[in-house]
Amino acid sequence: MVKSKFGLLALAVAVTAALAGCGGGNSNGGSASGSPSASPGASGPSSSASASGSASPAADKTPVTFTYFNANSQVPDIDSDKTEIGKALEEQTGVNFKLQFPVGDVNTKIGTMIASGDYPDVLAPDTAIDKILDAKAFIPLNDLIDKYGPNIKRVYGPYYNLMKQADGNIYFLPFSAVVGDYIPNPTIDQGAFWIQRRVLKEFGYPKIKTLDEYFDLIKKYVDAHKSEGLTGFTSLTYDWRTMGIFNPPMHLAGYPNDGDVIVDMQTHKANVYADDDVTKRWLKKLNEINNEGLYDQSSFVNNYDQYLAKISSGKVLGFFDYGWEVNQALQNIKKTGNDDLDYMPLPIVFDDTIKDQYLDPASFVDNRGIGITTSAKDPVRIIQFFDNMLTEENQIMIQWGFKGETYEVDDKGRFYRTPEQIEMLKDNAKQESIGFTYFNYSWPMYGQGSTLSDGNSLSAGRQPEVAQASFTEGDKLILSKYGVQTFSELFAKPDDRPWYPAWSISIEQGSPAAIFQQKSKDVKLKYFPKLVLAKPDQFDTIWNEYLNEFHKLDVKAFEDTLTQSIAAKIAKVTGNSGS
Amino acid sequence: MRSDASVAADVPGAAAARPSGIRLFVRRAMKQKSLLFMSLPFVLWIFVFKYVPLWGWTIAFQHYRPNLGMFEQEWVGWSQFKFLFADDSFLRVIRNTFAMAVIKLVLGFVTAITLAVLLNELRIAAFKRTVQTISYLPHFISWVVAANIISTALSIDDGGIVNKVLMWLHLIDKPIMWLGVGHYFWGILGISEVWKDVGWNTIVYLAAMTMIDPSQYEAAEIDGAGRFQRIVRVTLPGLRPVIVILLIMNLGSILETGFEPQYLMGNGMNAEYSENLEIFVLKYGISMGNFSLATAAGIFKTVISFVLLFSANHLARRVGDERLF
Repeated sequence: MVKSKFGLLALAVAVTAALAGCGGGNSNGGSASGSPSASPGASGPSSSASASGSASPAADKTPVTFTYFNANSQVPDIDSDKTEIGKALEEQTGVNFKLQFPVGDVNTKIGTMIASGDYPDVLAPDTAIDKILDAKAFIPLNDLIDKYGPNIKRVYGPYYNLMKQADGNIYFLPFSAVVGDYIPNPTIDQGAFWIQRRVLKEFGYPKIKTLDEYFDLIKKYVDAHKSEGLTGFTSLTYDWRTMGIFNPPMHLAGYPNDGDVIVDMQTHKANVYADDDVTKRWLKKLNEINNEGLYDQSSFVNNYDQYLAKISSGKVLGFFDYGWEVNQALQNIKKTGNDDLDYMPLPIVFDDTIKDQYLDPASFVDNRGIGITTSAKDPVRIIQFFDNMLTEENQIMIQWGFKGETYEVDDKGRFYRTPEQIEMLKDNAKQESIGFTYFNYSWPMYGQGSTLSDGNSLSAGRQPEVAQASFTEGDKLILSKYGVQTFSELFAKPDDRPWYPAWSISIEQGSPAAIFQQKSKDVKLKYFPKLVLAKPDQFDTIWNEYLNEFHKLDVKAFEDTLTQSIAAKIAKVTGNSGS
Repeated sequence: MRSDASVAADVPGAAAARPSGIRLFVRRAMKQKSLLFMSLPFVLWIFVFKYVPLWGWTIAFQHYRPNLGMFEQEWVGWSQFKFLFADDSFLRVIRNTFAMAVIKLVLGFVTAITLAVLLNELRIAAFKRTVQTISYLPHFISWVVAANIISTALSIDDGGIVNKVLMWLHLIDKPIMWLGVGHYFWGILGISEVWKDVGWNTIVYLAAMTMIDPSQYEAAEIDGAGRFQRIVRVTLPGLRPVIVILLIMNLGSILETGFEPQYLMGNGMNAEYSENLEIFVLKYGISMGNFSLATAAGIFKTVISFVLLFSANHLARRVGDERLF
């Protein structure tokens, strides 16, 4: 009897202990709406430092660590003070950041954050920014900037109108606030038709402009090298990276990247081009070259890694893509040192008479940025850190690095890099340890293309001295064959487009326009592969089928929504600049 | 195997007072109090995590915005359900979900039982253990890795061994883009899932087979039953209770086909066959921040699963078999 009673007692104790353990974790239950979101109206806490209007109030420098989730990049997580730049900033302010990056789908990760109400202190949500704004997860920054951010005011002041949301509050700091004169990028980081240099070399560096000329050249090369197992042309259609196949018609017709629409220069009306003749012409051409065996059929099945690997193999002769998307593969090719396998970006258009508009006009991307969330424990310290980042000295450190280590200054005060420094910086590991990978973008910053007060370019890549020094022999050779100094000189100068870029116009979650975007993408992904891979005589029948399906969707609602937003953006920009 | 061992509550000599109803229940509970104590934490856990959150089903009837409190939400009645059912891709999505679920269920059962039976017949213990280990290793690979392996193996480029082997055997004369043909997807998915989970699923059956009385085998052998006949007459009937219970449980979760393989191996070309309910909800629900739609789809799945579970159980009871409840 004693034994079983004792056993029973032990059991009871164990059960109670287990219950106590379970009890603690229940507060998060399943109720998403119970999350205690701080009322968005609360501005920064009463400042503990002096409120003098001169340079930022004597800031508190006690060491503190905040978390920052950056959805813009996919690089290894790190503590900012493990990088040289981060360490220097920490010495100045006492602030260290735990930098976190997404693995996989950004939308689901952000959705989880919203549902739990538990955000990192600082957040750059990239494409999911509309959700974050909808969920009121960012705190308004107006008062914080007024009190603690003189540098922020200096840099972002001219753009305030574009940064304010409908309720007059600024919720995040964008990355494109250009300071000083605008310097365009000497290399192509946006859209272009890329062709492998050995193709151009073999035929004496011809000047090609039209789509037909482009593919004819590729065909000639493949015919001359049949045994090498070359792929004529490939595209990427994976997840949201569908621009490789969706966007060319827009560019070939002489328009810059406005996303799903072509915006008329006079009427400023938005027109979805996926059902227009320009798309038909593009797909018909792809269908033709597929019939000749030049098109990479697995384009529609490959994921992003497989696509990059294919290009890095050097067996692909041509593709259409945006420099930033294909850059990893291009770097791999550059590392091999074989210039023939490298690629040349060209502004290809449908016909001779069309002026290309591949280069981006100077613009303000107002729907990407970095904000402070409602979960932040000390928004004042964070704003002070941001403000400190925006001094010119720190911007130089963030973009150029450390004098003597990653850049030099000549006797005229111009910044430059020695060949050894350029070589050293080609290594991704070095970029990470210095901190360029982590700080070059996605923080409050002078916009890319800004000019410093002494005339140097903010971005090292756009400084002519650096750009030219980092050109390889092959680059310089091919540029001289085409009679230009930089790659972007081959492209036409961009016309002024105050609404640019239309793809950054935010669409309300769950609105008919948003649903149209998702459904039209599905229809396109279903039919474009069919159209390209079909037998040429079936093309027209399938095209008509596609048009039928496409027109069942609410195209007009989308075009109208965008036209309205474009008009509003134009009003904001031209009304504001006062020129 | 009966799920609860009933204990005779009779105390010899107390023939007059046969307790019934509540008193019987209390009597039995007191006799089994240690069992009850042990299961109490789990019952509580289930209650808190599976039943209490059900009040969140109200989200399906609202246009849910996370930052507003529950009573400030906008009520939209059945419109989320209407969107779900009225969408013309919905029928296709349901068809895909069911087809893939049935394929997974049938193939899963057949292959697992077959493999278990075959393994059971092995005499050399070392070989048996090796085969078992190799067969359940793929279970531990995440679908991300597995999908990558599969799509590389099926590609028409250099890494595509499937095409290479088939061409070497002269069964096809040019490489087939397997993941680009819609109606191959179900077959590819079935085979992939079998490869991944067959080893794991055999574990339960192998365990159940050890419970079969060996004297039955001896009796059968004496009666002149060959190997195959012993399997059919002794092993399989001995496994029947386990099979039925597992079948009923799997039917209940039939709609949880998961979404990883479909998401990772799906693309524009096979979307008509690869898109299942989960992916539909991902695209129109979670990705658009439309939690209400996601909840509505979840409710729909629960209702269907419920119906299936009860029917299966009822059927099992009718046939006189073991049943879950």
